[in-house]
Amino acid sequence: MLPSVVPQIRAKVMEWGIIKNNPKFAALVDSPAGPFTIHFWAPTFKWCITIANIADLARPVENVSTPQQIAVTATGVIWSRYSFVITPVNYTLFSVNVFMAGSGFAQLSRKFMAANETPKAEAEVKVVNPN
Amino acid sequence: MSAAVRAWVKSPTGPMTTHFWGPVANWGFVGAALMDMNKPRDMISPKMTGVMCVYSILFMRFSWMVQPRNYLLFACHASNETAQIYQLGRWAGLTKE
Repeated sequence: MLPSVVPQIRAKVMEWGIIKNNPKFAALVDSPAGPFTIHFWAPTFKWCITIANIADLARPVENVSTPQQIAVTATGVIWSRYSFVITPVNYTLFSVNVFMAGSGFAQLSRKFMAANETPKAEAEVKVVNPN
Repeated sequence: MSAAVRAWVKSPTGPMTTHFWGPVANWGFVGAALMDMNKPRDMISPKMTGVMCVYSILFMRFSWMVQPRNYLLFACHASNETAQIYQLGRWAGLTKE
């Protein structure tokens, strides 16, 4: 159906000296979840979303959406398990989802701590500004 | 009918397995996209929407090639792709607004 670009690329790359001379490296490159398969590129691209979420840790807490971060954390946890029960086992997918869950959890902690601090901050403002 | 339901419940991609709940979690993206369909155009982030478009195409292929083949995940990413392409079209001014 699709022009078989990837098998052609794979044939060329497997002829490279650095791969032919290192059978362990060759096995890694040609593995069932390796860079010639979608099993590699889909999770690798998912890192963009995770990195965007980690970058969002610098955004003000008020702009963080709690439902979204609960979804991100739950997704990360469930998918970490998923990546071990599929064929082929996908360590790239596992790592990206561990970080997704971690970043979601970090955002939720920020929200939780901000929510706990607000009543005290408001009280302090009232004391400083009696008018 | 209950025999079919029971067969599904016990199937290798049924609701007792992660193969089911993983994609269920991903439907959250689709829900968020649907809720955002009417938000003002200037609130649409072309970067995030573009990333989502590429992400869903890759995972549509992934869900097809993975063992066991995951139709629920495929449906989820096909829907997300549609929603994100629509949003990108809105941002680019291609829709009647």
